[in-house]
Amino acid sequence: MDMPVNDKKAQKALKKQLEKEEALRRIRAQEKTPFLLRLKYKYLTWYFAKRFAWALFRFVLLFGISFIIIFPYISKIAGSIMSRDDFVDTTVKLIAKYPTFDTYKAIINDNHYFKALFNSTLLSLLCGVCQMLTAAVVGYGFSKFKFKFRNAIFYLVIFTMIVPHDTIQLSMFMKFHYFDIYGIVGGIKKLLGSAEQTPAIANLLNTFWPLAILSITGLAFKNGLYIYIMRQYFNGVPDELEEAAYVDGAGVIRTFIRIILPMSVPMLVTIFMFAFSWQWSDTFYTELFFPSKSAPLLLPKIVGVPASLDTNYAAQITYETAIRNTCGLLILAPLVIIYLFAQRTLIEGVERSGITG
Amino acid sequence: MDKSIKTKKSNVDVKPATPQKPGRQRKVTTLQKQKSRMGWVFISPFLIGFLVIYLPMITESIYFSFCKMKTGSSGYTLNFVGLENYKYAIFTDKDFVSNLWKSILDLLFQIPAIVIFSLFIAVLLNEKMKGRAIFRAIFFIPVIVSTGIIEQIDLQNYLAEVQMNATEISQGGMQVTSGTEIISRLEVQRYLQGMIVGNELVIYITNLVNGIYNIVNKSGVQMLIYLAGLQSISPSIYESCQIDGATAWETFWKITFPMISPMILVNTVYTVIDSFTSKSNVVMNYISKVYNTNNDGMMQATAMSWMYFLMVIVILLAIGGIISAYVFYQRRDV
Repeated sequence: MDMPVNDKKAQKALKKQLEKEEALRRIRAQEKTPFLLRLKYKYLTWYFAKRFAWALFRFVLLFGISFIIIFPYISKIAGSIMSRDDFVDTTVKLIAKYPTFDTYKAIINDNHYFKALFNSTLLSLLCGVCQMLTAAVVGYGFSKFKFKFRNAIFYLVIFTMIVPHDTIQLSMFMKFHYFDIYGIVGGIKKLLGSAEQTPAIANLLNTFWPLAILSITGLAFKNGLYIYIMRQYFNGVPDELEEAAYVDGAGVIRTFIRIILPMSVPMLVTIFMFAFSWQWSDTFYTELFFPSKSAPLLLPKIVGVPASLDTNYAAQITYETAIRNTCGLLILAPLVIIYLFAQRTLIEGVERSGITG
Repeated sequence: MDKSIKTKKSNVDVKPATPQKPGRQRKVTTLQKQKSRMGWVFISPFLIGFLVIYLPMITESIYFSFCKMKTGSSGYTLNFVGLENYKYAIFTDKDFVSNLWKSILDLLFQIPAIVIFSLFIAVLLNEKMKGRAIFRAIFFIPVIVSTGIIEQIDLQNYLAEVQMNATEISQGGMQVTSGTEIISRLEVQRYLQGMIVGNELVIYITNLVNGIYNIVNKSGVQMLIYLAGLQSISPSIYESCQIDGATAWETFWKITFPMISPMILVNTVYTVIDSFTSKSNVVMNYISKVYNTNNDGMMQATAMSWMYFLMVIVILLAIGGIISAYVFYQRRDV
């Protein structure tokens, strides 16, 4: 019974052996293997099948999730170029029958888009640059110098990160409405006999000052995270670099400016992108620090139905939804353009950061 | 050659130093002092800001939570009322406590989902493949884009839709909303109820599937942190693993997972903070609603958010403690 099976097995093994030897001979003789044989050895293997299955699975998964990320924006873009009639037409799903740019025009003209764009750019640039520099300087200080209470002070940084800004929004509002440092200015005024009863020193609301102050001192939105990231990054920079600079006669500050800052550009770009874009689309500070109507118009405030569009008809709610979404698109468009240019540096910077526990 | 230079150098050093040895001693200490002083200079922006602006704000805010405020044309006056605001939040306002429980339960489910999902995606995006740059660019769009304003617009749209359903305006046309509902809940439930699993699990999974948009949007920064961690694992470890014949599965659990465990701790902490303080959080929403009602509401909201903050700290410490017991740290010099 066993014999034929064994025989077959042996035959198979022999055949394989021969094939192998043939292949080896061909390689030794530097002869070209026939094309089909090459294909067979390359693709008809278990290894290749496994890899191919994995690659397919990976691609499908990533593609699907990418779709989930992008689809809301696609649908928003589709909705933004629809005209009034498209919203009542049941046959229209995603592609407009009567495409129009009226929504864009109305928002840009009625909601003063370009004015807001200018102001927002100014404010975000200010915040981005200030927060980036502060994070770099403070992170460097925490990473490279040993002094008393260093760890204790670093816990304070973590503390500012954990306390939600909603918790202190009231006192933040008060602080910048009646801006004073420990009542010093008010005290001086009282000493000089000013008739004012109120402690109203300076009202910094409706200006860029509150955010500038918070940015410079590293207390604004998520700045604790930036300081943390920069500290981790500088921890990975070898000390020998600075020592070499010191030996060459450069001071600490000069070393920092001439050597450390230029080499950490990817990290700085990352921090700047975070700070810039989070300020760009932030609603919390915008509502808190720019409450009055005379305040500089910022982008998050332009969301609304423009007066020139008549929305009072059957599909009012879907139409207004589409208009609001268009506002969102207009706000995000410049950000996306910047992101497309900066994303390579951004991801590179994060990869190099070596953030660790 | 070397020696002669050394001796020369030391001679040069010693010569002027010998007459005034104590002076030289002081010079060494001043150098150290100078360095530590420079440290203070470097962190001074933060320290000054913290002492001058942040600390007063924090103490003021704690003080506010014990007060009632009256605003007039000439500033504001505060009346100390003790624990009244806290009592109000816990005993009188029933919504606050129930919202608190709800948000904790939500997050207990959502945090593992975000942490695991972002790790999975980061591992995928770390592999070499075609189109990796494009996929990465897409996956990090939420980090840049989905903050503040989009959340607010989505919320407004959602409210409008709720209103529409409430008044039941019948109308045709497409719905221009974000793609939140991917799979209808019923469909998933039907699939899963064929298997014999608990009803809670079914609800959990359907919530996860329908919440994938949220999860993807919230896991951008976590993905970045994981990617940074994955990049820092030395390739030679993987190479030696491969030579020893480990499969990809084994390599992941024996190498990648332990090496990345510090990042899991960081990410869990970050996720907890992020989701507890985000605008879409139930409690945060409720607090801001209370804040905007009237003057009393402001103080009550402050009291509520301090209680909430304490709770978050407790949860953070608990989670951090549990996870850090299992974290593997590679020996490092730093």
